Amino acid sequence: LPPEKPTIIKCRSPEKETFTCWWKPASDGGLSTNHTLLYSKEGEEKVHECPDYKTAGPNSCYFDKKHTSFWTIYNITVRATNEMGSNVSDPHYVDVTYIVQPDPPVNITLELKKSIKRKPYLVLTWSPPPLADVRSGWLTLEYELRLKPEEGEEWETIFVGQQTQYKMFSLNPGKRYIVQIHCKPDHHGLWSEWSPEMYIEIPTDFRVKD
Amino acid sequence: LPICPNGSVNCQLSLEELFDRAVKLSHYIHFLSSEMFNEFDERYAQGRGFIAKAVNSCHTASLTTPEDKEQTQQIHHEDLLNLILGVLRSWNDPLVHLASEVQRMKEAPETILWKAVEIEEQNKRLLEGMEKIVGRVQSGVVENDIYTPWDGLPSLQLDDEDSRLFAFYNLLHCLRRDSHKIDNYLKVLKCRLIHDNNC
Repeated sequence: LPPEKPTIIKCRSPEKETFTCWWKPASDGGLSTNHTLLYSKEGEEKVHECPDYKTAGPNSCYFDKKHTSFWTIYNITVRATNEMGSNVSDPHYVDVTYIVQPDPPVNITLELKKSIKRKPYLVLTWSPPPLADVRSGWLTLEYELRLKPEEGEEWETIFVGQQTQYKMFSLNPGKRYIVQIHCKPDHHGLWSEWSPEMYIEIPTDFRVKD
Repeated sequence: LPICPNGSVNCQLSLEELFDRAVKLSHYIHFLSSEMFNEFDERYAQGRGFIAKAVNSCHTASLTTPEDKEQTQQIHHEDLLNLILGVLRSWNDPLVHLASEVQRMKEAPETILWKAVEIEEQNKRLLEGMEKIVGRVQSGVVENDIYTPWDGLPSLQLDDEDSRLFAFYNLLHCLRRDSHKIDNYLKVLKCRLIHDNNC
């Protein structure tokens, strides 16, 4: 029998400059099956083949900068072929503008300070993911952080907008806290994974560093 | 935000303040455009396959605008500013009609109507602000020739519901796209001209 229809699972851009699509191969009934990704771009009649099947691993197609356009609808299909025939996936319409999922923020620092009224507060700072070009303004990221006592269940989640520093008050001396941060493009796209967990213990009392 | 705070008459906003205001406005306009599109898509377009038809059908498609980071960074800032002005001007006419045609839709949801009216208003304000910026950057000369006409009003008034809904869908899809371009270009220009590419 010819192979069944393959399925395009998802497409993602990590930095709004390139993107990758993944597909689920069709069940091949034991025959050797070959997959071909074909795409056309809005405003063009021409159909192109995937420029790079290797970079992003099996069952994937990687579009480098030269092959990535924004505000443009890509019509993408995958064809599975064996000696008995072939079958084509449903079309997958993608505008890369809307599929950006950045990497998590990096260089997270936690520093305890004491306010004038001698109450402890925590200063968090972080940097955008290295791949993301925020300096030129091409990509604008927004951040959200979450924190909870180590033994606690409930996260306190705080949206902090585009800033890369945040001061947290109302922390309980003697408690050990877990902190994580993630980011998302402004307007469209998906939240990154959370950054690795970071821990901070609020001493019962502590002297501010001289 | 009054142009001249604390009552003075001939105050001169700095280029940075002009850009700050323009980016706030473009961000807000795109946010509204995106919400309006999503709401319309959910309410009227599910299962109709409109996205496949909405290909290459924006009235501003003939304007050659940058399509990736490299093109956006290589274009001269005056050309990019004039392109932004051209796209904004090209939306004046359709936004006027969008607001009135949405009112005539069956059970036109108040939230879509309110957004259409608000976007029309804010688009005018952004156009004014951009003309100030261009006037400042190009020392007085504001080019007026970049513009694409819109002839989509008849399709918003078609009797056939599917065709009429597709016309609305396509207009809102194009508005979401173009307002995002403008917002993105303005953020790049602000970083380039005000923050020396170090935002």
